[in-house]
Amino acid sequence: MIIEIGYFAVIAALVVSIAGILAPLIGLKTGNPAWIRAGRQAVTANFILISLGCGSLIYSFLLRDFSVKYVVMNSNSRLPVFYTVAALWGGHEGSLLFWAWILAAFATLAAWIHWKSHPETMPYLLAIESSLTVGFLALIIFLSSPFERVFPALAEGMDLNPLLQDPGMVFHPPFLYLGYVGFSIPFSFALAALLSGRLGEEWIRATHRWTLFSWIMLTFGIIMGGYWAYYELGWGGYWAWDPVENASFMPWLVGTAFLHSVMVQEKRKMFKVWNLFLIIVTFSLSLLGTFLVRSGILSSVHAFANDPGRGVYILIFMSTVLILSFGILIIRSNKLKVKIEMDSVISRESAYLFNNLFFLIATATVFLGTLYPLLVDTLYGTKVTVGAPYYNKVFLPIVLIILILMGIAPMIAWRKASMENLRKNFLVPVIAALAGTVISAIIGIRQIYPLAAAFIVFFVAATIISDLYKNSSYWASHSGTSLLTGIWKAWYHNQRRYGGLVTHIGVLVMILGIIGSSAYKLEKTIILKPGDEFSLGHYSYKFQGLQDVQGINWEGAEALFNVYEGNNFIAEMRPQKRRYSGGSQMPTTEAAIYPRHMGDLYLSMTDITQDGWITVMAFQNPLIHWIWYGGGIMGLGVVLILFKRKRRES
Amino acid sequence: MTKSKKIGIGISILIIAGAIGYLALGNFGENLIYFYTPSEVRSLSPDYYGKKVRVGGMVVNGSLKVVPNTLRMNFELTDGAETIPVTFEGVPPDLFKEGTGAVVEGYWDSGNVFKSNMIMAKHSEDYMPIEMKRAGVEMPKKDMIKSLQP
Repeated sequence: MIIEIGYFAVIAALVVSIAGILAPLIGLKTGNPAWIRAGRQAVTANFILISLGCGSLIYSFLLRDFSVKYVVMNSNSRLPVFYTVAALWGGHEGSLLFWAWILAAFATLAAWIHWKSHPETMPYLLAIESSLTVGFLALIIFLSSPFERVFPALAEGMDLNPLLQDPGMVFHPPFLYLGYVGFSIPFSFALAALLSGRLGEEWIRATHRWTLFSWIMLTFGIIMGGYWAYYELGWGGYWAWDPVENASFMPWLVGTAFLHSVMVQEKRKMFKVWNLFLIIVTFSLSLLGTFLVRSGILSSVHAFANDPGRGVYILIFMSTVLILSFGILIIRSNKLKVKIEMDSVISRESAYLFNNLFFLIATATVFLGTLYPLLVDTLYGTKVTVGAPYYNKVFLPIVLIILILMGIAPMIAWRKASMENLRKNFLVPVIAALAGTVISAIIGIRQIYPLAAAFIVFFVAATIISDLYKNSSYWASHSGTSLLTGIWKAWYHNQRRYGGLVTHIGVLVMILGIIGSSAYKLEKTIILKPGDEFSLGHYSYKFQGLQDVQGINWEGAEALFNVYEGNNFIAEMRPQKRRYSGGSQMPTTEAAIYPRHMGDLYLSMTDITQDGWITVMAFQNPLIHWIWYGGGIMGLGVVLILFKRKRRES
Repeated sequence: MTKSKKIGIGISILIIAGAIGYLALGNFGENLIYFYTPSEVRSLSPDYYGKKVRVGGMVVNGSLKVVPNTLRMNFELTDGAETIPVTFEGVPPDLFKEGTGAVVEGYWDSGNVFKSNMIMAKHSEDYMPIEMKRAGVEMPKKDMIKSLQP
């Protein structure tokens, strides 16, 4: 009964969102604000109705109602409650509903927050958000309903995919979705600006926080996916250039470009068409990301079941969004002619321009690698995949250039940088970078990419430190106080700038983690019987033996290792092999990870034979923790910007 | 901005884009990995012997032989029409077992045996060769539900 209420609520939501498209447009046509208010009520009602839909599904999960197909497919009675709730987004159908729910929540929030401040664009915003909701709800109701029943009811469910039974996997999809869906608000504002003809900086200011919020959520989502892959999959890595990983990476790349180029429009009123273009592409790639994962059209290791009907629907949905938004952009772009022009190639404007260019090139390379197999298959019926070496070779140089720009752009003058300006800002950082590189080479870093990365990291870090020093000594002498107070003042007067620089520091830390863990990784696969020893790097590992372990809904074996550094015992490590008791009977590998300052020791037991021999993969991943720390620092930077104090407009 | 500056920016963008495009496309060819079925592998011309490819198929029941206390194993991969022998050295993923789909990467050695040291299946239990996906995943799911019913 409960599930039918949810189903009905979602069908009602579809009807309401169609009304939500029409009402604001009628209001606009007739000039009657009551219709526009009806549009706001429609998005609010939508949020309540879809909440009911999600609620009924969660309730069915908690009741362990195995007459609901989605519950059967994604849970069983021994599944812990925590994962039972997360099972809402554990499968294809539920995750689409969850997407629609976040969309409705954000649309409602935006409608109420910006209602007073943006009366002219509001009707369009409401209509656009409602159209997106219609697109998703139609897909859910007609092609992939999570509300289907099975007759007769079953006694037991299949189980949630054991790989998903992990906190990392519980939080990874919602964060991605918050990012994807969050970009729908700047996207709608941009289209609303185009449609209403209010093409100033208004929409960018209104969506500044939405953009930052979505971007950091997407960032966290991607990092969490990597972290989860690292400790749950037992292959010692965190990123494989899998098409589905790429699907979340592409909107991140373009979103990052957008995040930077809006600043040029705020400060210099340039890049107007460009910014509209970028946000349309960002949101389209978010949609593409969702659909690539959830439609299974790619032969990915993530891919979910393929269904031709769904594929065609998704294709139509995507093309509608693309054709309409680019159509509007092209028709209106003649109104966007800007008289301000770039003064010089050596200026902050052009640094941002190149930043954007390289982010787009990066996106294009990922796009090409991800979708080329699909194209070849469609045209020639040949199946190919693009290997990771392609991405590594093409991507690394682009990333290095972007990183250099990251050091240059914030410090170079707007309009036209004089030689004086360049010398003042970059002499010290370049010297620091050269010195840092030489030191790195002396302590034993010899490969080309790590050395290049060292140069860039020292360069960017030095630009940030010297900038902070200059600003705070200015404030210190200005107010006649200490340098410490000066730092506080510099910070207080430039919260947005320094928040951004903190994010850049996070990126540097992450880059060090990526370079360290990939260039200096050690690995070994070995077969052992109890009592055997092996060594990797400075560490030796002694296999003591196997024991049985048991959890609520799984049982397995645990290998006990004593780890020594030289002759000193430093740790016990216990990699596990689990078998979940649900219908899938799927084995999983739980890696044992022992963190050390300079890198993780990582053991993953991949096989156990009947006579007690085991196969173990051992890794040593230097600096890998820095990737996660870097993500945290990036988040901190964004929080600092989001919660900056409001200062009176001067 | 003067015309020459504009041309300057334009040219530098073109050069950079061209360099990267060259880098991208130049690396494309050699990093493409072809994906075959066992039947297609059987019909490969000798030119392709020793070239890295991926093969998707079902692991034949009863064919999996692990060489004790080594990382080597032998099994057969089938697409229903043709079957090829595979020798594998390495660590198979958790999901690898007889009677399920698997994708192996390696090369067809002198037209006799497929030598591999990588079996793909990193993330999802829904993973299977694309042909079988086309044949329909919903069917087995329905069978699964049926088999669970009292």
